Amino acid sequence: MTPKRALRVALIGRPNTGKSSLFNRLTGLNQKVGNYPGVTMEKHLGLAKLGSNTLAEVVDLPGVYSLHPSSDDERVVLNALTTTSEAERSDVVVGLADGTNLKTCLFVFTQVLDLGFPAVLAVTMVDEMERRGAQLDLPALEAALGVRVVPVNSRTGLGFDELREAIGSAKPSKQAPFFQPAGAHLPWLQKKQECIGAGLTYRAWLDGLSDPEFAAEVRESGRSPERARADEAIQRYRWVNQWLRKVYHYDPVRDRRAAARFDRLVVHPIWGSVLLFGVLFVLFQALFYGSSAPMDAIDGGIARLSAWLNAALPAGFFNHFLTSGLVPGVAGVLIFLPQIALLFLFIALLEESGYMARVVFIMDRFMRPFGLSGKSVVPLVSGTACAIPAVMSSRNMESARERWLAIAVTPLMTCSARLPVYALIIGLVVPNAPWMGISLQGLTLFGLYALGFAAALAGSALLNRWVPQQKSAPFLMEMPPYRMPIGRNVFTAVWTRSKSFVVEAGKIIVSISVVLWFLANSGPKGLPNFSAEYEPMPIEESYLGSIGRGIQPALAPLGYDWKISVAIASSFVAREVFVGTMATLYSVDGDDIAPVRERMAEEINPSTGKPYFNLAVGVSLLLFYAFALQCMSTLAVVVRETRSWRFALLQFAAYAGVAYVAAWSAFRFISYLTI
Amino acid sequence: MKLSELGVGQKALILQAPVELPVKLFEMGCLPGEEVELVFAAPFRDPLCFRVQGTLVSMRRELAELIPITEPHDA
Repeated sequence: MTPKRALRVALIGRPNTGKSSLFNRLTGLNQKVGNYPGVTMEKHLGLAKLGSNTLAEVVDLPGVYSLHPSSDDERVVLNALTTTSEAERSDVVVGLADGTNLKTCLFVFTQVLDLGFPAVLAVTMVDEMERRGAQLDLPALEAALGVRVVPVNSRTGLGFDELREAIGSAKPSKQAPFFQPAGAHLPWLQKKQECIGAGLTYRAWLDGLSDPEFAAEVRESGRSPERARADEAIQRYRWVNQWLRKVYHYDPVRDRRAAARFDRLVVHPIWGSVLLFGVLFVLFQALFYGSSAPMDAIDGGIARLSAWLNAALPAGFFNHFLTSGLVPGVAGVLIFLPQIALLFLFIALLEESGYMARVVFIMDRFMRPFGLSGKSVVPLVSGTACAIPAVMSSRNMESARERWLAIAVTPLMTCSARLPVYALIIGLVVPNAPWMGISLQGLTLFGLYALGFAAALAGSALLNRWVPQQKSAPFLMEMPPYRMPIGRNVFTAVWTRSKSFVVEAGKIIVSISVVLWFLANSGPKGLPNFSAEYEPMPIEESYLGSIGRGIQPALAPLGYDWKISVAIASSFVAREVFVGTMATLYSVDGDDIAPVRERMAEEINPSTGKPYFNLAVGVSLLLFYAFALQCMSTLAVVVRETRSWRFALLQFAAYAGVAYVAAWSAFRFISYLTI
Repeated sequence: MKLSELGVGQKALILQAPVELPVKLFEMGCLPGEEVELVFAAPFRDPLCFRVQGTLVSMRRELAELIPITEPHDA
């Protein structure tokens, strides 16, 4: 008998049981990250070789404590097991149990067995288990569960051959069911069984208790759906405790005392804050400075490639398209890789070591009023370097709602691309004088950082209030034990994240760059002359220039002339392009800030006869760039992360709206005060 | 006495499982009759982290205020 499709294997277990380590071991780099329909949960799929010619498709399901979903995010696990779609159905389930803490891991595994799945139990962390003197009677546990139990070590690969073999020959448990609903539930269970046409009672039980439309019928049994679930929990734990006493011996008191002492230090109001601040500081420094050398190298390499192409190819349209359109577009993707790789390296280390859970724990009280979890400090802090890796880092958040809140507000943080614009404008309109001993210019820059942070938190709090909440999980989090990060897991995380950025967000970034190249290099008067004596088309004659002039009337209330409008239109690519475009428009050579600033300072407003760039125009511009989402790469990453163009476009529009109102109010207010 | 009143390092038994608690709590192993220990607490004693059935479970104080426990016995 040959199967029509690869065997589908689902990994199910509680969080922190080493599920992704086992997944990475089984599948290597043969994995892809997708999304579950309807929720922004990551779906990890991979291929594993079971035998010489059997291939299995492995799904790493999100970690859950029970098959009963407590939130919409957790529903994907139940769906993966009960779907009727032949293509999505799992054939075999591998349950995971942490060898240092078997008790609570067996809960969800016996639920899986009651669903009638052929299954294997993989016991992880066996090295730790042995080191701590825990003893497990394997044959007795196998007999009790009625399925194979395989101890594995994901660090060394020990036990994986046996695991692969056991997956291939997995059978349903002979000992199931481990839980039987009380007789009072039978009427509704029968009805549900008829509805879904499923034979097993437990399937109907799971379905009926998570179906809100069925709640009234369940209540006729005298128990609410929640109470019925609680009854199940009590019964199952009773079974587990009874059996484990016979097969598993572990007395961890000494290890626990030491771990608890360490934890009290980690969450200590002073020492804990010092540690957290230190970690975030190193993270920020690494992103900001550590990535600059590789970024310069990529920049230099691309410049050399462009120069080489330019010399090697005959002058003309194709040459110009390649060297000024396509290659810079690709460079615009690659340039973010060092920061993305560094950030995910950091996150993987924090997650793997167990410290991230402590960050969530410490920060929870502070982030709660804003609808964010403690985990959102990572995207927010990273956002002060660059929003692109920061938005991607929200992937590590478990709750879909907190995740989209973080994505929605992270680009408000003051990223490094805003700095050239801020430096140009602040130098132009803020006097270089001390105020009470503090540099006014420095104070302004600090104010802009604070503004970005405040805007992100306020935005999140507002969205959290306005957008109706679906069923969300209560804040109940398990603290994983501290563990040495596994190199393979860290590498896989960095690799898959970087790859998905290049492939998926990269597509969008390159396409937009090419379109913008076209808009900047052709105009209503036709294509520029691409022959040997090529001269770049003046930006004011291009389509991009026309767009800038076109939107100028709309920007006039903010105090912007056509030059600023053109620079705003062209800096949709990235904020720092504003400086380069202003340089071009004022016929200043190079992208250095000082000469452009000098030239701009000389600009006279024809209607007042005074310098054009006064405080009102300057503050208006600063606020505009603080809020407007002038970064196509961020938009591309948001599209990729939310799988929704609508989300990204709404976000762009909302940011533009806030930017407009803020810039307009500031311009009017300051003009009123100073004139 | 409620779970939220436990001091750091103190242990007690969970008395009962009120209906208004999230079922997830029970499924994580916090069941009547089990021993709980407050292992550590965040600044301002919120959230709190308990050991139940060998795992560390952290929850907000508002939730711990709903869980009745016996008088604490020190370790």
